[in-house]
Amino acid sequence: MKLWDRRPQTSRSETDPAPDAPDFSICPEQLQKAPPCQLHCPNSGDIRGWLGIIAQREKTGLSLEEAYDRAWRRLVEFNPMPATIGRICPHPCETACTRSDKDEPISINAMERFLGDWGLQRGLRFTPLDGPGRDESVGVIGSGPAGISFAYQMARRKYPVTLYERSTSPGGMLRNEIPSYRLPVDVLEREIEKIVDLGVDLQLGMDVGPGLSLEVLRQRHRLLFLGMGAQHARGLGIPGEEGAGVWSGIEFLRLKKEGRQVSLGSRVAVIGGGNTAIDSARSARREGAEVRLLYRRSRDEMPAADQEIEDAITEGVSFEFLVAPLQIIRDDQQVRAVEVQQMALGDPDATGRRKPVAMTGDTRRVDVDAVIVAVSQDPEFDAIPGLPLDHGWLKAGDDGRLGAGLWAGGDDRGLGIASLAISQGRHAAEAADAELRGSGATPGSEDAATARDQVKTDFYQPRLAVHPPRRPEEAWLSDPDAEITGTLTSEEAQYEADRCLSCGLCIGCEQCWMYCNAGGFVRLSQAETGTYYALLTDICEGCGKCIEVCPTGFLSPRPSEN
Amino acid sequence: MIATSRGFAKRWARLAESDQYSLSSGSRVAVIGGGPAGSMFSYFLLNFAEITNLDLQVDIYEPRFFTHCGPAGCNHCGGIVSESLLQRLATEGIELPSHVVQRGMESYTLHMDVGTVRLNAPGLEKRIAAVYRGNGPRESEPLHQISFDGYLNELAVEKGARIVRRMATAMERTGDCIEISCADGHHRAYDLAVVATGINSHFVESVCGSTARIRQPKKTTTFISEFRLGRSMIEETLGNSMHVFLLDIPRLEFAALIPKGDYATLCMLGDDIDDELIQSFFRSAEFKQCFPDAIVPPHACHCLPRINVQTARYPFDDRIVMIGDSGTTRLFKDGLGAAYRTAKAAARTAVFHGVSSRDFENHFWPLCRTIDADNRIGKFVFSVSGLIQKARFSRRAVLRMTASEQAGDSPRKRMSEILWDIFSGSAPYREILGRAFHPAYVGGLIWNLAASNWPSARRRDSETAGQGV
Amino acid sequence: MADLGRLYKDGEIIVREGDSGDCMYVVQKGRVDVVTQSGNREIVLRSLARNDFFGEMALFERDLRTSTARAVGEARILTVDRRTFLRGISEDPSLALRMVRIMSHRIKDLTARLTAYENTPQTGST
Repeated sequence: MKLWDRRPQTSRSETDPAPDAPDFSICPEQLQKAPPCQLHCPNSGDIRGWLGIIAQREKTGLSLEEAYDRAWRRLVEFNPMPATIGRICPHPCETACTRSDKDEPISINAMERFLGDWGLQRGLRFTPLDGPGRDESVGVIGSGPAGISFAYQMARRKYPVTLYERSTSPGGMLRNEIPSYRLPVDVLEREIEKIVDLGVDLQLGMDVGPGLSLEVLRQRHRLLFLGMGAQHARGLGIPGEEGAGVWSGIEFLRLKKEGRQVSLGSRVAVIGGGNTAIDSARSARREGAEVRLLYRRSRDEMPAADQEIEDAITEGVSFEFLVAPLQIIRDDQQVRAVEVQQMALGDPDATGRRKPVAMTGDTRRVDVDAVIVAVSQDPEFDAIPGLPLDHGWLKAGDDGRLGAGLWAGGDDRGLGIASLAISQGRHAAEAADAELRGSGATPGSEDAATARDQVKTDFYQPRLAVHPPRRPEEAWLSDPDAEITGTLTSEEAQYEADRCLSCGLCIGCEQCWMYCNAGGFVRLSQAETGTYYALLTDICEGCGKCIEVCPTGFLSPRPSEN
Repeated sequence: MIATSRGFAKRWARLAESDQYSLSSGSRVAVIGGGPAGSMFSYFLLNFAEITNLDLQVDIYEPRFFTHCGPAGCNHCGGIVSESLLQRLATEGIELPSHVVQRGMESYTLHMDVGTVRLNAPGLEKRIAAVYRGNGPRESEPLHQISFDGYLNELAVEKGARIVRRMATAMERTGDCIEISCADGHHRAYDLAVVATGINSHFVESVCGSTARIRQPKKTTTFISEFRLGRSMIEETLGNSMHVFLLDIPRLEFAALIPKGDYATLCMLGDDIDDELIQSFFRSAEFKQCFPDAIVPPHACHCLPRINVQTARYPFDDRIVMIGDSGTTRLFKDGLGAAYRTAKAAARTAVFHGVSSRDFENHFWPLCRTIDADNRIGKFVFSVSGLIQKARFSRRAVLRMTASEQAGDSPRKRMSEILWDIFSGSAPYREILGRAFHPAYVGGLIWNLAASNWPSARRRDSETAGQGV
Repeated sequence: MADLGRLYKDGEIIVREGDSGDCMYVVQKGRVDVVTQSGNREIVLRSLARNDFFGEMALFERDLRTSTARAVGEARILTVDRRTFLRGISEDPSLALRMVRIMSHRIKDLTARLTAYENTPQTGST
């Protein structure tokens, strides 16, 4: 292993060194580590992997088209709807990106969208995994992101899958609530089409309940997956809430998506601070109303994505923070105003956000013609009795198991972003598949996290990120349904992929090979993304230089044998 | 008539060729490697260009930062700026500021089994500089100082060179240019490519053969390690002295312990340095005695860099020249001095003569040949000193002669001067050999051989020699 | 942090007029005055700082030192041996380029001072 032991020589041990003397040689090991983007992606997507395929295409001998195709394939192993998620995800991956220490994070979400659109444009089709076909029938209830993800993962594992959707078109929340200016319906439809093409039997207008009981479905299928979402809007529980002129956020957004006229009047209050509240406020602006968003905490505590808040401000939504509604004042059934209580921030609560406390006596009237309440949602299980619940949510294991042959994922287990729902659908499919095959659970990535200081950001050229194009702000409201953000060009996508630091995985930078005096690194004749050198440990001289020059942190000290 | 016109045409063609192969304003020069050879080449090239009103663009390709602690920012070497290099740089107006110098050396301490003797520089002047080639060994605290290589980088940048933080991996001749490509896909064409990569990277391999008819230099392995002793301990045990070991260990050519700030650097030269050789040196009483309680502490980092032991043939081609260790260096000693000399000769040739193979052959190669020829004499000098090392009676004579020269005030300290020049690399080996054949020296050596090996003298000598330091 | 060369105390003589010498000196740190005796008076010929050299004539001719150099405050001085210097310029004459340039500046300076001296009314002789 080493040419020479750096053992301290003591006068006590003239002939042979002390047996317990430490070995100071620093020999490398090629150890793949998990990058922060992946660790912070709710769906643990192999972001570094698909960016690397594009960035390293010349080293692996791929044409640009081949690289994009392959990158798309890698991407859809985790997420069957990249064009959709690439448009709507609040991308916690980017916040975590190591590159933000140097200049700007990689525009991962825009890259995902680029590849998603590439897949649609090229008509790339999903291919089933290798292995024999399965005959265990699978039923999926709900065609939102969780259900779609589960159906897709089972279908590519060659199970016969039936996807039940109660409405007349698939997509769940993605279809009904996300406004068109963020996600055009045809993008979602085309991505769902690909999943149907894989052999999923999509049955629309099938509502599980008295007409189609869970028991019937359980008999029909070997296993069932529940991805029904949380479709019941929570109310405020204040006087004046019932009646005309008050909508829930999801209700309002659905009506808009269905192209129905909603008469809001000229002044609207939106109550809430999440993405649904922002979507509602921006959609209300598109009706021409003057919109005030009322939130009981301050801007810092708003759960909505920052960019969405910025855009809402650009569109003229006004924000009132630290106000809680006390009652909706009506005059002859007509909404006239919201009476609000002034709040102040107190101590942090369980979520770490500072809790609002009422400033007793300090109330005022906000005059409005309509109110949209977007505070939260709950799942509804009234029609399906007998499910294991915890405070009204489905009580599933980490892998999504509800009980024998019964799995669940998505908002019916707890509210989360679409990416989390896709992740839960995928994990449940993996676990269900393992169970059916009797192969035991497939272990997820056990890679240790890449430590921030293992990545030598100095090695990389400074380059600012490219961001996707956006329509001019003046045109946002005048063409209310047109998508605001565009897709990166191919040149921009290459540039952006090249910026990836590839935290924790080899990029073939050649430095270890270049500087190893012993010749311990041997170029592989068949280079693949992330794999360029073989390491000959027996001739290592233990100087440790390769570890210190490795920009990605892929090489790290090998633990000593004793 | 025809003959004259043909002669004229030939001369014209040669003139045209020399014009084609000369640098003009706007010419681009790539320097691969930002170590001392690369930085000094850039510095002198731009200096000469300034004098001759030439506007050149110099890109130094160096991906590493010599401001980083530990091996990644280090250029693996003992880090000695010899007396002669220090003096020449001072003449050029390049001083080594105190934040670059780890320690100024005023003496050599020669360790042999028969005793220890110190050779002092005249007036105890600090004539040799111990420097770091990177910003200190692994795990050293951030220093308020910069490495020698980092300092030379700064000088080159002040003169107008640009450091390109990319790793050059290949070089290709395209038409009238040399194209440099980097690991990250970046590439650019240049009018002159200067290879200053040393031989501890694989760049030379990728250049040799395909782009130029250049045969790589031959190399051998050395061993370098760093011991952390702390500044006060170093002052106490090692002082401002280079500790040189002439021991009868098979295959060991030479070993030196160089005190720096908080650390001491050990350098070992020899044939096929391996575990066994290193172990037997570490077990020697002479080495152990340099440390408190005669215990060799564990070291902070080590490496086994290769050194050049035979000049590349030929270290140039049209628009390509190899300087420093990647071309020619001085055998075992004063590699930095050789880097300076070859860098400057190449810069001089490029500005005042041209960049064709012929220009380098006429104005650069002679220096390499001189160094090469001197190295052959050096091999002989080292083999003689190896013989002396092997025989105890001759070691005793060397010790006695040096000790008496250092103690007395005889005007010519012949043995001391020879040893000083061998250790410090200050004089050409040819000159050292000449002095070694001087009758007065030979006579003195014979006398000391007899005196130190006379039974009664032996006892007395070994007593006094032990106190010699 | 370490220094090179030899440390001279304030007022210490580095070279003395009339001594023989075989080296030049380069100031590393501190200041050095180059002085000469004219009758009973000491004239400061030049005041030197970092990177300046003196005693360079000894490199070119075997003659006695023509002036005295003295440390002003503590000064660190590095020696350049004649042997090293001559070996250097025989290999690379451009080594002397900077020295030649500075020496020509010094001649220019001396000429200017001499002209100024010639033009001042010689009060002593009347």
